Parts: sequence; C-alpha cells; structure tokens
Amino acid sequence: VRYSATLVEHFLNPRNAGLMRDPDGAGEDEFEGCGDLARVFLRVRDGRAAEVRFQSYGCGPTIAAASAASELIGGRALEDLVNLKAREIEDALDGLPDDRKHAADVVAGAVRAAALDALRRRGV
Amino acid sequence: MTHDPRSLQKTRRVYLDHNASTPVHPDVVAEMVPYFGEVFGNPSSVHGFGRAAREAIDVARDRVAAFLGTRPEEIVFTSGGTESDNFGVKGLAWARGRGHLITSKIEHHAVLRTCQALEAQGFTVSYLPVDETGMVDPDDVRRALRPDTIGISIMHANSEVGTIQPVRAIGAIAREGGIPFHVDAVQTFGKVEIDVDAFNIDLLSFSGHKIYGPKGVAGLYIRKGTKLVSVQHGGEHERRRRAGTENVPGIVGLGKAVEVRGREMKDEAVRVAALRDRLWHGIRDRVPDVRLNGHPTERVPGTANIAYKHVESESIVLGLDLKGIAVSAGSACTSGSIEPSYVLVAMGVPIEWAMGAVRTSLGRSTTADDIDYVVESVEPIVRKLRAALPVGAA
Repeated sequence: VRYSATLVEHFLNPRNAGLMRDPDGAGEDEFEGCGDLARVFLRVRDGRAAEVRFQSYGCGPTIAAASAASELIGGRALEDLVNLKAREIEDALDGLPDDRKHAADVVAGAVRAAALDALRRRGV
Repeated sequence: MTHDPRSLQKTRRVYLDHNASTPVHPDVVAEMVPYFGEVFGNPSSVHGFGRAAREAIDVARDRVAAFLGTRPEEIVFTSGGTESDNFGVKGLAWARGRGHLITSKIEHHAVLRTCQALEAQGFTVSYLPVDETGMVDPDDVRRALRPDTIGISIMHANSEVGTIQPVRAIGAIAREGGIPFHVDAVQTFGKVEIDVDAFNIDLLSFSGHKIYGPKGVAGLYIRKGTKLVSVQHGGEHERRRRAGTENVPGIVGLGKAVEVRGREMKDEAVRVAALRDRLWHGIRDRVPDVRLNGHPTERVPGTANIAYKHVESESIVLGLDLKGIAVSAGSACTSGSIEPSYVLVAMGVPIEWAMGAVRTSLGRSTTADDIDYVVESVEPIVRKLRAALPVGAA
C-alpha cells in the first residue's frame, strides 16, 4: 500500500463518522472535477470545537483525512479553525501522495466552512 | 490499534485481477529459461547459435497457428497487445492511404487512440455505441458502412466488463462488403473459442501475459492476402512485416502458454465461470444496492464488474487491498480529475453506479475458498464506507 500506516488505520477505523443533529456549525467542501466531498459538523463550547462529526464521500485518503481532522481540531478555537491549513491534516496522516493531496484540501475546506458557519451563527 | 505493515504479509492474498495480468505458468518459465543463456543466438544469424533460436521461434509460431487454426506464416510476433493493435489498425489504414474506419466507443485505448491519431492524419472514423450490456449492434456496423470504408476494428471482449461482441455477425458484414476486419482479442485469446475463418477475421491481436505467458510479447494474426503495411521499419524480421530482433525467450514462452491453454482452456472456462457466479451471488445476497455491469451470459468466464451504489470504487479497492485482495477500480481519481470508466459511460451506466464499479477477474489459480473470503471481506468494507456517506451525496 502506498499510504502511511496512520492513513490506513484511519481509513479502516474512521473516528467521528456520521451525522450530527442540530450542530452549532456545519460546512462542506467538494473537490471540483473529482467529486470527493467532505462535510463537517461542530458542537461548540466556550468558542471551541467540543464535538466533531464528519461525513465523506471519496477515495480512501479523503475518508482518512476527515477522520484525522476530526481528532485534530477537537478543543481548538473557531477563530483558528477558520484558517486551518490542509498541510496540518496531511501531517496528521503522516503524508499523502502527490496525486492525493486534495484529500486534505477538501477536508480542510469543510472544517474552515464549518468554523465560519459557527462564528456567523454566534452573530459575529 | 495501529496498523502494522507486517500484518499484510500474514494476510491471505487473493489475486482477482487476471484481466490486468497473470502469473507466468511454471511450465512456461521452465521452457523459457534456456533461451536466456544456453540458446542466446540471434535468430537472423546463419550459424548454429542463430539456427537454434530460429527453430525455437518456429516451434512457438507453429503452436500459435495450431491453436488458432491458421498457417504459421500468418502469425507475426510483436512486443505487446498495444503494438499488435497499432500494427493492425494503422497497417491497414496506411496501406490504403485514405478512407473511413469503423470501431466502437469501448475499444481499448490501443485501438481508440490509434484511431484518433489516424483521424489527425485525415482518416475518418465512426465510433459505434454499445447497448446497456456493452454490446455492439451488428446492424450499427452495417449502417456505418460507406463506400470509402477501409476497415473495421471491433474488440472480441472488453477488459472491464467482459462482454463478448458478436464478432461472427460483424465478420459476416465485413466479408460481404470486402472490408478487412481487425479484432482485438487480447482479453479472449486462450479463454474462449476463436475461429478466425468462421468469424471472417482478417487481423487478430493477442497477448502473452493475459494467458500465463510473459509480458512484452504478443502477436498479430494476418490473414494471407490482407493488404497491410508495416509500422516499424528496419531489418527483414517476421517476413519483413515487423522489424526488430525477435524476443526469443518471450516468444518461446508465448508459444508454451498457448500450448498449455489449448489443453486447459475449455474445462477451466466452466470452472472459472462457476466461481465468477459464486462471487456475484455471494455479494448480491449480502450487500444491498449492488449491480452487475456487462452482459449476463455473453461474457468472458472470469470477469465480473460489480458496482456498489454511492461508494467510490477506489475506496473499496483500498479496503480489499488491505485484506490482501487484488481487484481493479472502475473509476480512477488521479490528480484531482475523476474519470468514471468510459466503457461504463458508453454503456449508459448511471454515474452513481459507475463511480462505484469494481472489476474482478478470476483465473486458473482462483479457488472457491478465495471467493468466499472475498465475499466475506466486501460486506464490512462497503458497510463502513456507506456509514460515513454524506446524506444525499453521490
């Protein structure tokens, strides 16, 4: 397998997969042309991501990236998540092959959108 | 739990990608070995070393000819199925200089892109549609005929879905119109019966590594009297039709592989088709929202293209790979552009199914235990992938 052991482990045992009822923030991103899609839901406490759920459709790395991100962003401030970089998710997966970098991009995009949505709902 | 890469080595390994390539048969390896060292001469050389190599090629050519029921001099060895297709299609087009070709939308790229290259040179090409089972309608071939039609190239079976084309009917139309008929038989040669005379085939591409022979060797049957020009120039090899020193060990291996297929093909086809159905029925009974792409009966024995609705095929391929199972994705997501298989698109398979198509191709070493292991492995993989699906996505 050309993927890291960490990526494979997330793919096989995705954390926090599934829908969240009445989230405080929700965001989605799609990788154009590829059809990969990630959706992120946030439950917010004290301005931080207290609970994270995701749904994703795509190749293995996208599912793994969503799982890794759901762990990565727990407890972080919404203001910081609005600027989340794909690189951070990629690092959490111990790297992605060049032709699969979009997996981190699409998940990071969904996280940013969810954080922004939560801030907007809060009335910022 | 962390993933231990070594666990893969302990995992059972099941190879269900025989349409991509096959392991070389041990008898084939044994037959080839002397031709890497002991008998190394150039078959064009007149001395004893060369003559020994020449004799080996002659034996291989006889074996292929006997298998196909043709004359040995009608067989030309090439470097692969792609070269054979290029030779067959370009060779007949260039021999005529201009004109119109008929092919189908689901040909291998070796034919499709060759036709596109010929279009750039001024030839015209009709790309015929297929029905929902992946079959070309012979009436479409007849309707596509023009006064300037110079060749027809239709594959015997498609590698992705295994649908066997009505080449007999198409061959009859070609013969009636006096038009040369090329058949890409890379996926059927050595797997199902091919009668070049009954099917009126003038040119037939076949390959070694799909039938337990080595890679890098293949052939083109050229019916005597077919006007064809060479695409590769140089020495006077292969009766001046294909220049280049012959791949002697490869040709010996191809000859032996064909000889073995002659003995094993018929019985194996029955066994492999039964396993293929065991696979499909097992998956169909356990996994909801699956479908079989391709013709229900007119299909290469070992091929089952199974689509999983709303799941991306590459995820399933990865999941199965981690269980030691080798299959092939019907869609490929590379460099950010998704390509649902052009074959499935041509068949009108809806996108939500085409994206989740997985090709399994069985072979001589596949066992019922293998199939049961695959069936057991597929269900939890698909269930997990579907659990993470966005509502309404795909």
